[in-house]
Amino acid sequence: MDDDDGLVARVAAGDDTALRELFSRHAPWLAARLRAVLPAAEVEDVLQETFLAVWRGADGYRAGGAAGAWLWGIARRQAALLLRRRGPAAAALPDGATAGAPQAADPAEVALARADLTAAVAALGPPGGPEREVWRLLYVEDRPVAEVAALLEVPPGTVKSRAHRARRLLRAALRGGAAEGGSR
Amino acid sequence: MNIDITDLTRRFGRTQAVAGVDLRTGAGVFGLLGPNGAGKTSLLRMMATVLPPTSGRLRLLGRDPGSYGPRREIRRRLGYLPQNLGYYPGFTVAEFVEYFALLKDMPPGQVPRAVAAAVGQVGLGDKARAKLRTLSGGMLRRAGIAQAIVNGPELLLLDEPTAGLDPEQRVAFRALLRDLGQRATVIVSTHLVEDVGAACTEVALMDAGKLVFQGTPDELIARGEGTGAAGDAPLERGYSAVLAAARSTTAAA
Amino acid sequence: MSDMDAGRPPGAPAPWETAPPDVDLSRVWTSVAAEVWRRRPGPLERAAGRLLRSPGLARALVTTPSLLLAWIIATVVVLFAGAGATLATGTPYVALLAPAVAAAGIAYAYGPGIDPAWELSQSMAVSDRIVLLVRALAVFGLNAALGLAASAASGAAAALTFGWLVPMTAACALALAAATLARSAIVGVAAGVAAWVIAVLSGAAAGGQFTTAVTNTALVLPYLAFAACCSAVVLYATRIPRGTS
Repeated sequence: MDDDDGLVARVAAGDDTALRELFSRHAPWLAARLRAVLPAAEVEDVLQETFLAVWRGADGYRAGGAAGAWLWGIARRQAALLLRRRGPAAAALPDGATAGAPQAADPAEVALARADLTAAVAALGPPGGPEREVWRLLYVEDRPVAEVAALLEVPPGTVKSRAHRARRLLRAALRGGAAEGGSR
Repeated sequence: MNIDITDLTRRFGRTQAVAGVDLRTGAGVFGLLGPNGAGKTSLLRMMATVLPPTSGRLRLLGRDPGSYGPRREIRRRLGYLPQNLGYYPGFTVAEFVEYFALLKDMPPGQVPRAVAAAVGQVGLGDKARAKLRTLSGGMLRRAGIAQAIVNGPELLLLDEPTAGLDPEQRVAFRALLRDLGQRATVIVSTHLVEDVGAACTEVALMDAGKLVFQGTPDELIARGEGTGAAGDAPLERGYSAVLAAARSTTAAA
Repeated sequence: MSDMDAGRPPGAPAPWETAPPDVDLSRVWTSVAAEVWRRRPGPLERAAGRLLRSPGLARALVTTPSLLLAWIIATVVVLFAGAGATLATGTPYVALLAPAVAAAGIAYAYGPGIDPAWELSQSMAVSDRIVLLVRALAVFGLNAALGLAASAASGAAAALTFGWLVPMTAACALALAAATLARSAIVGVAAGVAAWVIAVLSGAAAGGQFTTAVTNTALVLPYLAFAACCSAVVLYATRIPRGTS
């Protein structure tokens, strides 16, 4: 069983079975992440364009980098292209996403920013995990520390240290994600 | 009614390969059983418009295959896997399936997707770009099934499709058959009785050019009960019982 | 407690991100595979498809065994070697070679002897007879063109340059009929070449020259009649597919 770097190298050499293996490994989580931003039909189109881009551009991948991040970068770019082609109505933005955003903001950009955020939040751990829960209760639902501590049945100090770690992870993820997405 | 056959016969010189067959069927999976030499392949060839009948009435997909225009229309909606299918060694699986897709007058724009879907459905996704000469017998058979289904046929004729397939592949194939039988008439000619029981909604048994049984698999099983006929499985016993009965009546006649 | 600080690169997948239920990944893969596995026909095939109004027929044409590059090169070599020999010795080799070469090409154009999937081909919407006709015409036309070029290059007289076209038609028709009846390309080649050799030799015996078989205008009608008979045989043989029970 090849690792991801090996698979991408084989794809660059023209091996379509390696592309199939990459697809079965990575398409599920890419679909999940895109689905937060786009309706199902658009997710399918973006995934299709993403893996065709992988097929054509596999020799642009530098081994040792993380294949997953590289794939997400391609997917994000394809999503941006699709939203620009189809118009902002294609994005499945729930009302809350644009609330408070400046009216002049390009909804496509907002959608992609939300996608980046989803990706970054994924770095916090599984849903229901410690950092993720603290993030959700403290920052998304805007509860006070004492209430969060009571809900999670941990001391307030633990809540604060988990929040600190969550912010650090998010900062790293968003910084890295922006670098990845913006570098091409 | 995709197949409407009345008193169909086919003679080769002095041999009667098919000696008066009546058959009417619509969508679903139809199993054609019988010993070697029973005439199954000749019957299938006539339904594939490859062999003209000697006498009788044959209507396929509501058309008469005797004239050129309707025959061409039938062939566009037909999928056929002969018992002996040669292959082009230098072709890849995808090229092989695509070749016959084009010869079935499929619009070229639809062909790549149809080829990809067909190759995937028979489980040859990893071999799509492998040359046919590198494939095993079972894989070649599956490539043959892929070319038969690539044009989404309304009438699918498979002659011994599971030859060379291992048990796991046969299970996958039966699932494929059930799926195809939703929309199309699928005729599977086989001498493997267990293939028939699992996937077919209706079964016919052919012997010496005639249909000696036509009904559901359960009815065939019922024919074998209590007769002490040979066979390890209920369907096999039904098969033997019906054959024995048919031969004794012809012997008595 | 999972180690979240293990420096997972940004954007990297997390194990709990599974495919959403309303996204059909197998359909996505089919679309990707369709593009990856797709064959793009060359310009010759596309032009043939437009001319014949059938992409399937064009594909069948460009996959003709005797129209493959190796075969064409071999034909060119034989004919132009003949032209060279003619320039050297004066004997019009091209006129003598062309019918035999063409007959071999025709026998390897199509038919049960050369098509391993012939039973399947008989069930196609683009009928095997049409494929046979188009391939045979293409092989004949190409051989005629190459032969004419070689003949002109060898500086032969007009009668010799064109005179072998009719005998070539007869030899090709015989090769095709034999190949179709015997279900074997080798038989077709043997029949075509052997018949031509006999024609040349008997022409030489009767008329004193090796080229009699080509230049004797009295033979034109018999050649054409013979070709017509062989064509009728081919039509008959391809109408009723012979099967075994």
